[in-house]
Amino acid sequence: MAAISPQHTFEGDLSVQPMVISSGNMLSCVEPDYKAFIPGNSLRRMSRILKIGLTTALRCLQDSGIETPGAIVTGTGKGSLQDTEKFIKEILDYKETALNPTPFIQSTYNAVNGLIALQQKCTQYNNTFVHRGFSFENALLDSMLLLHEGKENVLAGAFEEITAEHFYIKSRVGQWKSEDISNDTLYQHFSPGTISGEGAAFFVLGPEATANTYAELAGLKMLYKPSQEKLAASLQTFLQSHEEIDMVLTGRNADINYDRYYQVVDQQLSGIPQLPFKHLCGEYDTAGAFALWLGAQLLKTQQLPLQWFPMQHQTPAKLRNILIYNNFFGEQHVFMLLKGI
Amino acid sequence: MEELKQKLKEQIIEALNLQDTRPEDIKDDAPLFGEGLGLDSIDSLELMVLLERSYHIKVEDPREGRKILQSVQSMAEFIKSKQPA
Repeated sequence: MAAISPQHTFEGDLSVQPMVISSGNMLSCVEPDYKAFIPGNSLRRMSRILKIGLTTALRCLQDSGIETPGAIVTGTGKGSLQDTEKFIKEILDYKETALNPTPFIQSTYNAVNGLIALQQKCTQYNNTFVHRGFSFENALLDSMLLLHEGKENVLAGAFEEITAEHFYIKSRVGQWKSEDISNDTLYQHFSPGTISGEGAAFFVLGPEATANTYAELAGLKMLYKPSQEKLAASLQTFLQSHEEIDMVLTGRNADINYDRYYQVVDQQLSGIPQLPFKHLCGEYDTAGAFALWLGAQLLKTQQLPLQWFPMQHQTPAKLRNILIYNNFFGEQHVFMLLKGI
Repeated sequence: MEELKQKLKEQIIEALNLQDTRPEDIKDDAPLFGEGLGLDSIDSLELMVLLERSYHIKVEDPREGRKILQSVQSMAEFIKSKQPA
């Protein structure tokens, strides 16, 4: 697996990486040197999220020792916003004439998948899910179905970017905090809105554990706009069919508008340590992919990078089962259960 | 003509984001596609857009486009031929 995020995640070893602190309520990715992964002649035409998505996927394949995946399945809520904005702006500027084809081609949601397939010469199953806060989770579900059908080495992932234009549009509907905060103080600012983010995370999924396996994805549940009662009941059912939880990775984002859902989890799992992750990656449609990457890292290394979680005082002696709970602005709610190998 | 060719080289580098390429690296009569700069079919569309936006020349026939976009020299000659004397 691999991730490019607003933190130093691309390097893999979290224990030596400091937390990246940003102000302005908009977290941007720490980008690696793309030239090590993408030929210069291809690189020149790609926009930022294409480079981020493709490089994360290639690093993931490298990490897994796989050259050609059995399938490529991704999720993205917005795709390449930079290209979409450029294309729309050019339509206006040039009055629907003399339009440059590249931003249009790259603005399509499946552009990253296409690039991965071209670069790795992979002609297998290839699909991109675009379902807002369920985009990545639907990619995961599709990947799990493929594994049941006998596919192996399914490359599953997600990618998302934030632009100044999109940040401004969403600020008009109150998605971001009105006060300017830095990400390390996020949970001290319980108020309407949160901080925005972006990132890409990719995983190679297989039916059996290998020496390279980080963790097992033992459960996945999606709920659309549940009531608090429905959420509580679903969590109870989800946990009944699984073992004891050692830690909860929570998508809590200090947005007072939707904190009531996280309080449901607090009540149901009181006494179990909770680790928030949105101060590291910000809020975006596919932030669940970052949580999955982080959870799998923690299970594999059994080490909590304390410099990333200064608020954490209670750490389990051994991590075996991690529950991930996340919701996207109160609409799409997800439970994932990760088990150590 | 020399001034136009120099300007075209700068515009090609900018439009196609040819990092590490300087105008002096592009020879007037060197092929732009294949061996020369190694451009591809998407680049040819981008160059058509460049002609339309910067010189207000629309190339309607793709076969004609292939000849026009052969080199900086051929592009410059085509632009000159379309400009009023």
